[in-house]
Amino acid sequence: MTDLLVPPPALEVRRLTVSYGGRPVLWDVDASFPAGRLSAIVGPNGAGKSTLLKACLGLVPSDAGQALVLGEPARRALDRVAYVPQREAVDWDFPATVREVVEMGRYRSVGWLRRLRRADHEAVDEALERVGMAPFAKRQIGRLSGGQRQRVFLARALAQQAPVLLMDEPFAGVDARTEAALVELLLGLRADGRSIVVVHHDLGTVRRSFEWALVLNVRAIACGPVEEVLVPETLARAYGSAVGGDEDEELAWIA
Amino acid sequence: MDRLIDLIPLPYTDAVVALGALVLGVVAGVLGVVAVLRERSLVGDALSHAALPGVCVAFLLTGVKEAGGLLAGAACAGIVAAVCIVLIERGGRIRSDAAIGVVLSSAFSLGIVLLTAISNRHDADQAGLERYLFGQAAGLSEHDVVVTGALGLAGLLLVAVGFRALKTALFDADYAAAAGLPVRALDVGMTALLVIAVVVGVRMVGAILMVAMLVSPAVAARQLTDRLSRLLPLAGVLGAAIGVAGALLSAREELPTGPTIVLVGFAVVVASIAFAPGRGVLWSAAQLRRDRRRALVESVLVDLATALEAGPPPTEAELCDLSPRPPRELRRGVRALDRAGLLGRDGDRLRLTEAGAAAARRQLARRDEWSLWLEHGWRLRLPDAREPDPRDLERSIGPEAMAELRALAR
Amino acid sequence: MSTADWQIMLTAALVATACGLLGPFLVLRRVALLGDAVSHAVLPGIVVVFLIFETRAPLPVIGGAAVFAVLCVLLIDALRSTGLVKADAAIGLVFPALFSLGVLGVQQWTANIHLDLDATIYGEIAFVPLQPWVIAGVELPRAAWELLVVVAADLLLVVALWKELKLTSFDPEFARTVRIAPALLSRVLLVAVAITAVTAFESVGAILVVTLLIVPAATARLLTDRLWATVALAVAVGWVSALGGYGVAVELDASIAGAMGLVAAVCFVVAFAGRRVLERRGSPA
Repeated sequence: MTDLLVPPPALEVRRLTVSYGGRPVLWDVDASFPAGRLSAIVGPNGAGKSTLLKACLGLVPSDAGQALVLGEPARRALDRVAYVPQREAVDWDFPATVREVVEMGRYRSVGWLRRLRRADHEAVDEALERVGMAPFAKRQIGRLSGGQRQRVFLARALAQQAPVLLMDEPFAGVDARTEAALVELLLGLRADGRSIVVVHHDLGTVRRSFEWALVLNVRAIACGPVEEVLVPETLARAYGSAVGGDEDEELAWIA
Repeated sequence: MDRLIDLIPLPYTDAVVALGALVLGVVAGVLGVVAVLRERSLVGDALSHAALPGVCVAFLLTGVKEAGGLLAGAACAGIVAAVCIVLIERGGRIRSDAAIGVVLSSAFSLGIVLLTAISNRHDADQAGLERYLFGQAAGLSEHDVVVTGALGLAGLLLVAVGFRALKTALFDADYAAAAGLPVRALDVGMTALLVIAVVVGVRMVGAILMVAMLVSPAVAARQLTDRLSRLLPLAGVLGAAIGVAGALLSAREELPTGPTIVLVGFAVVVASIAFAPGRGVLWSAAQLRRDRRRALVESVLVDLATALEAGPPPTEAELCDLSPRPPRELRRGVRALDRAGLLGRDGDRLRLTEAGAAAARRQLARRDEWSLWLEHGWRLRLPDAREPDPRDLERSIGPEAMAELRALAR
Repeated sequence: MSTADWQIMLTAALVATACGLLGPFLVLRRVALLGDAVSHAVLPGIVVVFLIFETRAPLPVIGGAAVFAVLCVLLIDALRSTGLVKADAAIGLVFPALFSLGVLGVQQWTANIHLDLDATIYGEIAFVPLQPWVIAGVELPRAAWELLVVVAADLLLVVALWKELKLTSFDPEFARTVRIAPALLSRVLLVAVAITAVTAFESVGAILVVTLLIVPAATARLLTDRLWATVALAVAVGWVSALGGYGVAVELDASIAGAMGLVAAVCFVVAFAGRRVLERRGSPA
């Protein structure tokens, strides 16, 4: 189906295989995420969801396969991707303000040794405004709540002004109200034409708000529009059921 | 004591040095294991540096340079230093590395001030204290050895008595606490052990380099055994060997003792890391190379087989385009297949030999099996906690499970 | 105060400035003890350069120091990456080994030249005014001129790479995704530390360099939430330590380097206690 008028997928992986200590974490994964859509990657624990994003960005080495961003090899297209990692071991005591963290999103385009210009500062202001953290710009990052910290990381990614946004479990450990606000934010970004791929664990939210999904469990189980993909058969294959149980009963709560 | 020394086939002074180094090596080696396993080696460094002001204060208070008194000073200073490190870390903002660094440098600055102050006032007497800076085997007396030996023995007895509790707390402090072990007390105990080790060794190796004596035997021994019950004595033995060899060498060649022992220890560590069977660097590097080469060959084989099935036999260049592997790796794989007799060439084009075709079939079968596992394996009930190995599914899950899997797929 | 006193204090203040610029980044990156290790590792560098080139001129010695600093870090990394040795144990193995090489070298081969072993630990800053250089009509001790260059270089480094240092210290993984390599910046930082350490060696010795790297930076961390303020305060506390320490040493006829270290420690204690008191009172610390 090579329709030349269709834009290349925001993110595409072909036969991606990543192992760790001899065991495959991702195995021959083929998936594509269309441009301009809000897509999700779902699957059980240990399915390789975070690894998929990291392998695309070159943060972990892959054994085989390719990753393409907007049609080009990911390695060469890193300036078109913004990454929001899981809220890992960042030192929250670090003497940096909210604004300084968001400014870090501009460093790549500014380059080594150079200062931020006015355009950069405007991009930072815009990003802060967008996530609702403008009033907190001068606050040290340790003095923020979990949801506020998540918004700061999102703002940092927005400041990069990249067309593709990859987010790893952005709603983990965040209260329901903030989650709803963040989803609305993402929908707004999508309306602006950005492509967003989110690793998320809550199938309910995915079904309600997302348009495209990859169901992953070491292999790609299914990839496509949410209504087609988040169905009991594929979910059973991905999440499995307790050994020997009545499959339909156990899956009722998912469907 | 005299009889012990007479037994050693060395001149008197050398014998004393050998005994002292033995005590140092065994005690620092065994007790150092505790520090290394807890990843608190550099706390040992801070305690060692704190020994300097400790011995100076002891001298200033008592006016004597007798080993017991000085070492008591070193021990007190060590305890104070350990407490300070904990207090600083608890205060927030300062992480453990900076806490250790602050205590280490502050204590040492104090030591330098006291040392030079003493030297300005008591020219001859101070010479004894300088030894604690860089260490010195020469001038070691029987009395010194007896004192440190007694202290060291006490430390070793503590380890023997508290062995099981130690083992649990070392491995998983949270679990130990949940299991009702007095973790706080054990923590304090382990720090006390470290203080004992430092105090025993600092006279011979010096405050600056003592940390290496705590770490080298433990690290070297760790490469040779997996079990704590063997690790502790082995570290003691290695420590003794390192200490005695280094001390005697330094006494004979008139080199400074501390540096000599440290370098001997470093050499032992490097050797153990390189050559340890099953763990050592050389062994793992060889293993890794083997694994990588096998993975490469298998994947190129599959790529070639797939290409052959899909169309005419490809040239090497065409295979590079088709395969997701980077070209340089692919070429290496092709060469390896050629060497192994699995690949043949018809001019430019590549093809598989009979052996190659059979190998490719096996590989593809394995991949299919693994895909089968990923699709249906979750429905299978395995008799125990075995894990499937993608490289050989049948062997890892067993023939019955394999048959069941195939049945499910149909 | 004689000229010699001023010159000594200037030299010490320059050391404090250089260390105060770099120290905060070491502390923030949680590699304070790597800074300690690297400062010890420069000793064999000095010895090797002397043996091979028979000179103690500043440039070759700095080159030797940089080489051994990198060697130290590479060795520690190599041990760690075998997976068989943890980071703290690797540091505790490598720097004593390198320092031992240096000590042996000093004892065996340089006994006839002016490289006293004790001096490597706490320097001989009192002798610094004895070697004056005149540049552009200004007479300062050689050590002070050398340190001036190092301070300028450190300042340039910190200012030019400010945002890169900030980023890689705060979030190294994000830094990698925007192609700013944290490992490269770490190496650059540690080489700068080594160069500073070797230049300050003969005036204040290894231990004081480490003290001035870590203690003022830790003190500054306790006092402020802003990065630029952390650096500025580290330099300021360093000056207090240097100048105050000299005063104390002269009064009590004590080791100058040791006294400077003690004053730095006192500053830290004051800041620590002050913070605790403020926290107890409930004011926003």
